Amino acid sequence: MKIHIHKVGPYQLFFALLIVLQSCQTKEQVDFNAQIKPILNKRCISCHGGVKKSGGFSVLFEEEAFAATESGKPAIIKGDASASEFIKRLHSDDPEVRMPYEAKKLPEEEIELLTKWIDQGAEWGEHWAYSLPEKVAVPAITAEASFVPEDASDFIKNDIDHFILAKLNDREITPNGPAPKNIIARRAALDIIGLPPSEKQLLDFDTGKITYETLIDSLLNDPAYGEKWATWWLDLARYADSKGYEKDMGREIWKYRDWVIDALNQNMPYDQFTIEQLAGDLLPDPSADQLIATAFHRNTMNNDEGGTDDEEFRVAAVMDRINTTFSVWQSTTMECVQCHSHPYDPFVHKEYYNLMAFFNNTRDEDVPNESPVLKMYTPEQQEQMDKVVDWVTKYGDKATVEKTKDFLQFTEPVYKSHFFKEFKNSVYDDHASVVYWDDGSTIIENTYTEEASFVYLNYRSHYDGTKMTIRKGDANGPILGQFTINKSKNNTTSQFPIKPISEKTNIYIETQNNSVAKEVNILNLYWVGFVPDIPGKNESGWNKINSDFLELLNTNSLTVPIMAENPDYMKRTTQLFDRGSWLTKTDTVEPGVPASLNAWNNDWPENRLGLSKWIVDKKNPLTARTLVNRVWHQIYGRGIVPTVEDIGSQSEPPSHPALLDWLSLRFMNEMNWSLKALIKEIVMSGTYRQSSESSPEMYRLDPENELYARGPRIRLGAEQIRDQALAVAGILSTKMYGPGVMPPQPDGVWQTVYNGAKWVESKGEDRYRRGIYTYLKRTSPYPSFLTFDAGSREVCTIRRTVTNTPLQALVTLNDPVYLEASYHLAKNSFNIADIEKSIGKAYTKATLSKIESQKLEALMVLYESSLTEFKKDPKAYELFLHFEEQPSPELSALTVVANAIMNLDEFLTKA
Amino acid sequence: MKHHTDIVNRLLREKLERETQAKTRRHFIKSCAQGMGGLALSSIFMGCDPLQKPKGIAQNSFTERDLNPLATLAPHYGPKVKSVIYLHMAGAPSQLEMFDYKPQLQKYHGQDCPQSLLEGKKFAFIKGTPKLMGPQAEFKQEGESCNWVSNFLPHFKKVVDEVAFLKAVHTDQFNHGPAQLFMHTGSPRLGRPSIGAWATYGLGSENQNLPGFVVLTSGGNTPDAGKSVWGSGFLPSVYQGVQCRSKGDPVLYIEDPDGISRNLKKSTIDAINKINKEEYAKYADPEILARINQYEMAYRMQIAVPEVMNINNEPEHIKQMYGVEPGKESFANNCLLARKLVEDGVRFVQLFDWGWDTHGNVREGSIDMGLRNKCREIDRPMTALIMDLKQRGLLEDTLIVWGGEFGRTPMQENRGNKEMAYKGRDHHGDAFTMWMAGGGIKKGASHGATDDIGFSGIEGRVSVHDVHATILHLLGFNHEEFTFDFQGRPFRLTDVEGEIIKEILA
Repeated sequence: MKIHIHKVGPYQLFFALLIVLQSCQTKEQVDFNAQIKPILNKRCISCHGGVKKSGGFSVLFEEEAFAATESGKPAIIKGDASASEFIKRLHSDDPEVRMPYEAKKLPEEEIELLTKWIDQGAEWGEHWAYSLPEKVAVPAITAEASFVPEDASDFIKNDIDHFILAKLNDREITPNGPAPKNIIARRAALDIIGLPPSEKQLLDFDTGKITYETLIDSLLNDPAYGEKWATWWLDLARYADSKGYEKDMGREIWKYRDWVIDALNQNMPYDQFTIEQLAGDLLPDPSADQLIATAFHRNTMNNDEGGTDDEEFRVAAVMDRINTTFSVWQSTTMECVQCHSHPYDPFVHKEYYNLMAFFNNTRDEDVPNESPVLKMYTPEQQEQMDKVVDWVTKYGDKATVEKTKDFLQFTEPVYKSHFFKEFKNSVYDDHASVVYWDDGSTIIENTYTEEASFVYLNYRSHYDGTKMTIRKGDANGPILGQFTINKSKNNTTSQFPIKPISEKTNIYIETQNNSVAKEVNILNLYWVGFVPDIPGKNESGWNKINSDFLELLNTNSLTVPIMAENPDYMKRTTQLFDRGSWLTKTDTVEPGVPASLNAWNNDWPENRLGLSKWIVDKKNPLTARTLVNRVWHQIYGRGIVPTVEDIGSQSEPPSHPALLDWLSLRFMNEMNWSLKALIKEIVMSGTYRQSSESSPEMYRLDPENELYARGPRIRLGAEQIRDQALAVAGILSTKMYGPGVMPPQPDGVWQTVYNGAKWVESKGEDRYRRGIYTYLKRTSPYPSFLTFDAGSREVCTIRRTVTNTPLQALVTLNDPVYLEASYHLAKNSFNIADIEKSIGKAYTKATLSKIESQKLEALMVLYESSLTEFKKDPKAYELFLHFEEQPSPELSALTVVANAIMNLDEFLTKA
Repeated sequence: MKHHTDIVNRLLREKLERETQAKTRRHFIKSCAQGMGGLALSSIFMGCDPLQKPKGIAQNSFTERDLNPLATLAPHYGPKVKSVIYLHMAGAPSQLEMFDYKPQLQKYHGQDCPQSLLEGKKFAFIKGTPKLMGPQAEFKQEGESCNWVSNFLPHFKKVVDEVAFLKAVHTDQFNHGPAQLFMHTGSPRLGRPSIGAWATYGLGSENQNLPGFVVLTSGGNTPDAGKSVWGSGFLPSVYQGVQCRSKGDPVLYIEDPDGISRNLKKSTIDAINKINKEEYAKYADPEILARINQYEMAYRMQIAVPEVMNINNEPEHIKQMYGVEPGKESFANNCLLARKLVEDGVRFVQLFDWGWDTHGNVREGSIDMGLRNKCREIDRPMTALIMDLKQRGLLEDTLIVWGGEFGRTPMQENRGNKEMAYKGRDHHGDAFTMWMAGGGIKKGASHGATDDIGFSGIEGRVSVHDVHATILHLLGFNHEEFTFDFQGRPFRLTDVEGEIIKEILA
């Protein structure tokens, strides 16, 4: 980047800016968003806003601002400032009348602006974030307008560059020239696949055998692309391999991680990607993959701690889903609205609970087994299931087919033991089951039995001969079933006959076992369930189908937690929580979306599916902008709206507003929500392809590179640093998918209360898998990732803060992972006859650049001093390369050099 | 309690006021960095010491912050203490057997708990109507302050005149995980920075060769809520607590690999930094300068950390005073380490001792036996810590905070509605005891009181937010102004509440 100091220096630029700002203010028409809204937000809204409406006056919404106040008259009279109480009060000398109350008088300029605005008709403008323009024109860069026209043609590679150059022209700054081929190839590969390009790709590109575009396409088609971008998405999805909270037990949910990788690799359109994750279960006849996708919102934490209330943490999970949905798709912080109307964004308190009504009717209830979990049957089991489903399809109706299928796939709906009431000689044993003694009983309220002639029980029985009686209503009600339960090995699901009834009723359960002493646990009952009978009872073969059904219910298989909607008879009503407390419920609310965003289409169902359609509706002003802004942020380290968490009235303004809107519209309309197309468009731009070299002067002028007069330069992410080290050492495994792996980590890192789980070091290639496959325990994540700013994924992470600490240096210098990688890098480059060449080779493998003489010199000095040390002390190099059969002082010294290379800023940074 | 909307309003007003000044700390740092120019940067290469002590809130200190996020900063006003040692008894110790003497409770021992106390209350394990249980320890008034201490703590009575008790602390959380998070981050949910992270963010570290915020654990387990209790939340991760271990490497990856001498490590870092300087000349990215700085600091930490973490070189009488067990993980070792760390300028030392959850379901977790043993484990070392700091003149610069995440019920626990194997008390957040000692604390004070059976505070009730406000105050911060902008709003440790507990201030 060059600045034309002779033409305009930073001070002149500053004054030029000042003049521009001032000229804005003297313009004829007052701009509500730019000039008025900031004053209202700053001076008025704390007493006249979403939380408080003093005097019945609020400036948060247009209709409130112009409505009659408590005085009976509106405070703002459009077109007549002198008649407006709003202005009168700003001038008053009476402290009781003057506004802002008990604060300093407004500066004259502000009063003047407000007066002018009202006199001009008090036009209310919507904040830019809450509406999307229909079309945005690409700025034309004409030769006259361009600051350096001859360079511009070289710079402009696609339309993005027009937006960037237009602003650079305004500031009279010239962008940098293009980055050298090796640099741009490394940058693009790290951005697209999270790894350096292959030697062949680099060579082909360098020699001109393939074009830049071909290189980009081949990177986008590499399966490693899905792994790289899934890392970003999993931060948003708060994906982890454990449940969080105190016990932090393991959770089997990696199928979801693999789903994300696949969906990205298949370039699933972002609208579909959204719908399947939020509501895949509500799609017609959902596939297993569509159910797995819904695990997005099962990444909420699950509290297994003794003594905790399942309902409290169910509600906490539901709220997390609302907050996460709005953080991920709308760049909006909904947490505020949980307790009161949003203080400055146009969302009212009740709307939070309208949103809650969408999420409040799923079957998950913070139980330790995380039900509902989708069972991943083996092919044989699947065949068995298909046979059962075929049978039911043949003899039964559609509803029965669906219910049978659901029960086989995820064993819901069932009445879990935390619902049981009226314990007699029985007790709810924290979190999991109800324990019965002899003559024990409980009641399950409001139960619907599906008119079934069987009840399904999941239990662990410790004795033979327990007589169980099921009655309708209470202890004196008619007997529905009576049967004997014998000792069971593990948790068992069994089927027992009952008398079919059609109405919703209380169910009374009683246990008797006289052969067992008093107050002894005879039975743990986990849940009680009802499914419509397998139809075709009179047909031959029914018994086999029924027993297959039961057998499938008792199979243990790989599982993944999913979303499943309550049947009508289990529906929860959603109520407003007074000041956000789940214990103080008030008015009942229905599902609904915030009025300040796009309108609801009545064709959409009033459930999560409808909500997801509303989110990806092209009229939603925030969905595409949020995504575009975050993808941009991933690539440039800075969003077009720099507050990537928040696009709204409190966010920082976009650096290139027209570019954001243009790209968002293009993403939806022309790219058809294709993430790969969007990434390609960004990396194909001349803006992206610039060199990232700079000068202290330019850093001072534009420290955050918001003008894009140079290419991006940011430190790599936690997983990338390790992946890259393994890749350049030639030991990175390309194995995809599967359960989380446990590469070596220091002893004693895992230590959690009540949790026997152990870090069992993976063997073979699993030690060298990409970081995305590393097992993530929320209370104790892989330590070196944590050091490099990866999070614990307890809640949605939109941005990882990039830090620069001594602990990071200790990781890349001393962690055995990096030593092993350094050793391999050294060994692959080692030529004892030509050490300079070996060092050059190792450096090139790592950084993809030819080594410059000063750098080589520094590394040679290090090599020589290492060699001298190792030669003096053979024990030292034997210890250092203990895994090498024939360690030598030379290879050891080169390993030290290779490790130094892996610690260079240029290695740790994407430049 | 104040009306919620008023508090929200106050918060909002503060934010708006601050914005008019357009100076959040972060922005200030950024804007000064912008103003610093090439000259200041190049001075790094001219041999100027990047670790010089800053001169208050001068531009210089911000320049330094930019390169070193742990560079010291001055707080809002004159701090009373430089360092904090926070002793957390994870699991929640019983105030009724240690500090809160309730003779009346003894009278009611074995009687049903009055229904009026149980109505609308939630307990973790107590079911039905539990019975009251008198104190299982004997109490005496100690020292000139005549504050009550039980016979479970025979050593502690020697320093009772140094501490100020809070007898009626309350929390609204009654499960360990959320309550510990609340106690350390001001929120029962995850995602907020811990007190130590706030302190290090606000003040930096006095010793650039050691982490600014050190965590030591004992009792065989880390706290229930996991590492989030010393996490940095939305603050940059550099401010999170660094867990130092008494077994294995004291800090992860602090030791050089086998066969690599200090000399060789020095050569390695020299080579790396030499090349990084070349890189800076090309890219002018200040991050490169910061990295050069961090590598030098890492090298120094490798010497300083093992040194400070080694208690073997302490004189015998000091070891005896604390009752240390070198080579093991113990609360006594950690207390001695805490002294060494604050002596060396570490800002915040957080000790967690696990094993205080005395429900009565197992022997170790019982009021009559387990609790007595736990008290024995901490009594001598925490007493020694106060005495040792005092004899070194460090106590006046250090704040010691002692407490659990909540207290325990005056009722005996009846888990599963039946009598349990041992005597136990359930979780109880309505009233429990904490104490503070050190700089700015009124010696021998006792603030707050509970009712006759120790169920609820009847005077001088203080909340967790109040405790936080007081700690921040002693460090020199106005807790209402000490904020960080995140997701479009300013966050503070004390959320929208918190009053400084003036009654225990000197």
